[in-house]
Amino acid sequence: MIEFLEVYVKYGSQWFPRMADAALVSASLAFAGFIVAFAIGLMLSIFQRSPLRLLRFVATIYVVVFRGIPLLAILFLLYFGLPGIGVTMSAFTASAVGLGLSFGAQMAEVFRAGLEAIHRGQREAAIAVGMTPLQAFRFVTLPQAVRIISPSMLVTFIVLLKDSSLCALITVNELMLEGRALATEYFLPLNIFVAIGVFYFLIAWPLSLLARTMDARIRAKQTRTL
Amino acid sequence: MLDKIQHILIALLGGISVTISVTLGALIIAVLLGLLLGVVRSFTKWKLLRFTIDVYVELFRNIPALAILFIIYFGLGSVGLRLGSVTAAILGLGLIGGAVLCDVFRAGFSALHSGQREAAIAIGMTPYQTIRLILAPQAIRIALPPLGNYAIQLLKDTSIASAIAAPEIMFFARTLVTSTFETTLIYICAAGIYLLLSLPLFRAIQSIEKRFGVGR
Repeated sequence: MIEFLEVYVKYGSQWFPRMADAALVSASLAFAGFIVAFAIGLMLSIFQRSPLRLLRFVATIYVVVFRGIPLLAILFLLYFGLPGIGVTMSAFTASAVGLGLSFGAQMAEVFRAGLEAIHRGQREAAIAVGMTPLQAFRFVTLPQAVRIISPSMLVTFIVLLKDSSLCALITVNELMLEGRALATEYFLPLNIFVAIGVFYFLIAWPLSLLARTMDARIRAKQTRTL
Repeated sequence: MLDKIQHILIALLGGISVTISVTLGALIIAVLLGLLLGVVRSFTKWKLLRFTIDVYVELFRNIPALAILFIIYFGLGSVGLRLGSVTAAILGLGLIGGAVLCDVFRAGFSALHSGQREAAIAIGMTPYQTIRLILAPQAIRIALPPLGNYAIQLLKDTSIASAIAAPEIMFFARTLVTSTFETTLIYICAAGIYLLLSLPLFRAIQSIEKRFGVGR
């Protein structure tokens, strides 16, 4: 155990800057992926409530398909598969798109739960005071829904951040790939992968605590207003 | 074209048995461990035990599966604790699942009205009988839908085991790519197989949700 920790004292100053740089790549990858997922999720949730059958059908199929396919398959398809039919993307772009496509389906479910929680009287009242359906959605339903679902959005972000580690397998130079590079350089895989795990933990855990606090606060508010 | 697809599908099917056994193996570990941790965390009076379980859950829920598999397979392997890649995948995914399901079962127990427990104690049941006969069956029923979602997630996550060379579907796909170069088609076929495997799970969850009337 002491030996195990001594390794960190010895190599920590060499490892830490490289891991910290790679952690920044992981974080920006997660942000980029989340923005795509947010846009797709919002679009799908609007499709799900559309009066047009075709749009509802598209949204349903999208969610079923992308909830059933592993992220890794999507990433490989985008990065290694698409060049075969003439579409080439950088590893980072492919990762952001892949994370976005995959988590877009989850975000759609998150949005749906939030929108369903808003009483339909809200929308009816907005329309009664002369708003168009789009305005009612944009200014009345959506802002309230976003507040209710903010903890679940944060949880989705955390899962996305953890899953961004898979992008190492399509050569994005993020935390996990840096760990593999260090492991082959120093031959200390246990120390290095534990350090990488700690890095992810130190980013994800505070966010998990924040999500829990937000959730508790929103629940407390709801019981008070009831 | 159809020829090629057939050829690819047959090659990929070689990985299905490992995908399914990793899924089932990890699921069994996850359910048993999650139920044990969930029950202990909900009912024990020892602070230290509760704290230990909390630490376990937070660790395994906030570290990526890939990092945990690398720690178990490459990390422990380097200090003499060498596991096969399939065993390492089952163990790693099972340990993560234990943490996930601990929270799921805990939520199930905390959703029960306190009157259930009081009534059981009042008619003379021991605390152990109360948990086993009264509380656990109801809590497990509440936990079924999230348990089903977890199972689907787990099925997909077994693809990560290809990174430690467990010979499952994704691993076969990656190997096949290097020998045939039909990259696009191979990954589409692999994605299709996962989708087909997950569809019956979706169905099962939907019927469970209907049958047990979730939301009560």
